Amino acid sequence: MSSPWLYAARRLLLAVPLLLGMSLLVFGLMRLVPGDPAVAVLGYKATPDGIRALREAFHLDEPLPQQYVRWLAGVARGDFGLDFRQNEPIGRMILDRLPVTLELTLLATLCAALIGIPLGLLGGGRRGGAADRTALAVGLVGISIPDFWLGIMLILGVSLGLGLLPSGGFVPLAESPLENLQHLVLPALTLALSRAAVLGRLTRAAVLDVVHRGFVQVARAKGLAERWVLVRHVLPNAAIPIVTVLGLQTGYMLGGAIVVEMIFTLPGVGRLTLDAVLERNYPVVQSTVLTVGAMFMLVNLATDILYGVIDPRIRRR
Amino acid sequence: MTHARVAVAGLVVVATLALLAVVAPLLPVGSPTEISKDRALQAPSPAEPFGMDDLGRSVLSRVAHAYRVSLAVAVTAALLALLVGVPLGLTAGYAEGLADQLIMRPLDVLMSFPAILLALALMSVFGTGALLVAVALAVVYTPIVARVARAAVVATKVEVYVDGARALGATVPRVVLAHVLPNAAAPVLVQASVLMALGILVEAALSFLGVGVRPPTPSLGLMLADGRGFMLQAPWMVVFPGLAIMLAVLGFNMLADGLRDWLDPQQTGGR
Repeated sequence: MSSPWLYAARRLLLAVPLLLGMSLLVFGLMRLVPGDPAVAVLGYKATPDGIRALREAFHLDEPLPQQYVRWLAGVARGDFGLDFRQNEPIGRMILDRLPVTLELTLLATLCAALIGIPLGLLGGGRRGGAADRTALAVGLVGISIPDFWLGIMLILGVSLGLGLLPSGGFVPLAESPLENLQHLVLPALTLALSRAAVLGRLTRAAVLDVVHRGFVQVARAKGLAERWVLVRHVLPNAAIPIVTVLGLQTGYMLGGAIVVEMIFTLPGVGRLTLDAVLERNYPVVQSTVLTVGAMFMLVNLATDILYGVIDPRIRRR
Repeated sequence: MTHARVAVAGLVVVATLALLAVVAPLLPVGSPTEISKDRALQAPSPAEPFGMDDLGRSVLSRVAHAYRVSLAVAVTAALLALLVGVPLGLTAGYAEGLADQLIMRPLDVLMSFPAILLALALMSVFGTGALLVAVALAVVYTPIVARVARAAVVATKVEVYVDGARALGATVPRVVLAHVLPNAAAPVLVQASVLMALGILVEAALSFLGVGVRPPTPSLGLMLADGRGFMLQAPWMVVFPGLAIMLAVLGFNMLADGLRDWLDPQQTGGR
C-alpha cells in the first residue's frame, strides 16, 4: 500500500459503507416524524385525495426496506424525487442552488487560509513575543465569535453604516463577476473568520513543532533572513496539519453556510435546507441533508487522500 | 504558568455567568417577559444599561435569563453525551475487534454530518424546545466523546500497570474503571469543555434559525433573530445578546485551552 493511487482507492472504498450508513440514517430519521408523513408534508392543506396521491407518489404504503431501496436507487441515478409543494424535481432544486453554496465555501476557504496561516506563522515564529500573544488572543476571540452575529454586525457596520457592500441578495457569476463578488465578500468573511482563527491556532502549533528542528537552525546559521526561514523551511514542513485542518474547516463551512445564507439571503443549498425544515417539507429535507452530508464527507475524504499524497508515512497506516 | 492563568480566567468567566444565570430571577433587573409598549426601543441608559427591545422588555434582564437556558442546554447536552459516549468508547477501546466495529462504525456515520446540519435535521423531526435542543446536541456529541474515550483506552491498556492489574486477577470492569478510566478522564474533561462552548453556539444558532428554543423563553439566539428587524433603530438589540454569546463561548474555550495545556502538555492548539 505504498502507491498514492492504491491509498486513494482504499480510502474511496471505505467511503461507500459510510455513505450507505448516512443514507440509512437520513431515511430512517425522516420516517420517525410523528404521525403520517403525508399529513406532515401537506400540512393544513391536506385533503384525503391529496394524502392518497402523496402516499402513492412516495410509495408510503410499501414496506420500509422497499421504500429505502427505491429511494436509494433513485438517488444513485441523481433522481431525488418530486417536491410535492412546488411540483419540481428535488434534484433540479439542489443543482440550481449548489453553485451558490460552492462559491461561498470556496471563497470562505480562501479567506480563512489568507487570514489564518499568516496569523499562525507570525505567532509561531516568535513564541511568547508581542505578535504571538496578539495572535493567540485574536485566535481565542475568533473561535468564540458566533458567525451569525458576526454577519449581523458586518451588515450593520459595512452595509448599513458605511454603505459599502450589499447586505444581501445574489448575482450569478456569469451575469456580472464584479457584482457577484460584491455580494459574496461579506458572507465569505463571516463564514471564514472563526475558521481562520482555528487555522491560525493550528498553524502556530505546527510551526512551533518544526521551528526548533535541526534543518531550521542550519538555515538560520547560514544567515538566511528569518522571513525566508519561515516561508521556505518551516511552512512546507508544517504543511500537513495545516492542510488537514483547512480541509476539515472547509467541510464545517458547508454546515455554517446554512446560517450565513439565511442572514445574507443567498439562494444556496443551506437556505433550501432551512426553508424545507421550517416548512416541514420532509422529502426535501431528506435530500438536502444527504447531499450536504455527502459533500462534507467527500471534502474530508479528499483531505485524507491529499494528506497521504503529501506525506508517504501516512499511507502505511 | 500562563496556561494555569488562562484556565483560571476561563473558570472565573464561566462561574460568574453560571452564578448570574442561577440568581437572575433575584436580580433587580426586572422581568424578562414583561411588555411595556411605552418603553419600546428605548436606548441604553443608566437604569437600563442594555436598552429595551421592540416590546419594551429589558434587554439586560433577557440576557441574564437567557443564560439560564443557554447554560442549562449546554450542560445537559454535555452530560448526556458523556453518559452515553464514555461507556461506548471504553467498551470499544477495551474490547477491540467486532465489538469495536459494531460500536464505532455507526458513530462514524453520525460524525459524517456537519454538527449544525445534523442538529437541524434532528430538530426538524422531533420538534422544537430547550430539552430537545439538548438531546439533539447530545446525539451530535456522543461520537466525539466516544472517540476521545476510545483513543485514551487504546493508548492506556498496553501500559505495564494495566497488565499488572490483570495478572493480579482484577476483573475487566475493575481494570477499566480503576486503571483505564482515570487516564481517559483528562482528555474527556477537555473535550467536555470544548463541547460546552460548542453547545452554547449551536443552541444560539438553532434558536436564531427558528428551530431551537421556543418563544417567549428568553434565548440569546432568539433575541438576535428578533433584533435583526430593528438593527438600525435599536442596534443594542443585536449587539448585547451577541456579546453575551461570545463571552460565554470564550469562557469555555479558555477553560478548555488551559485544561488541555495543563493536563496534557504534549497536545497543543486546534479544536
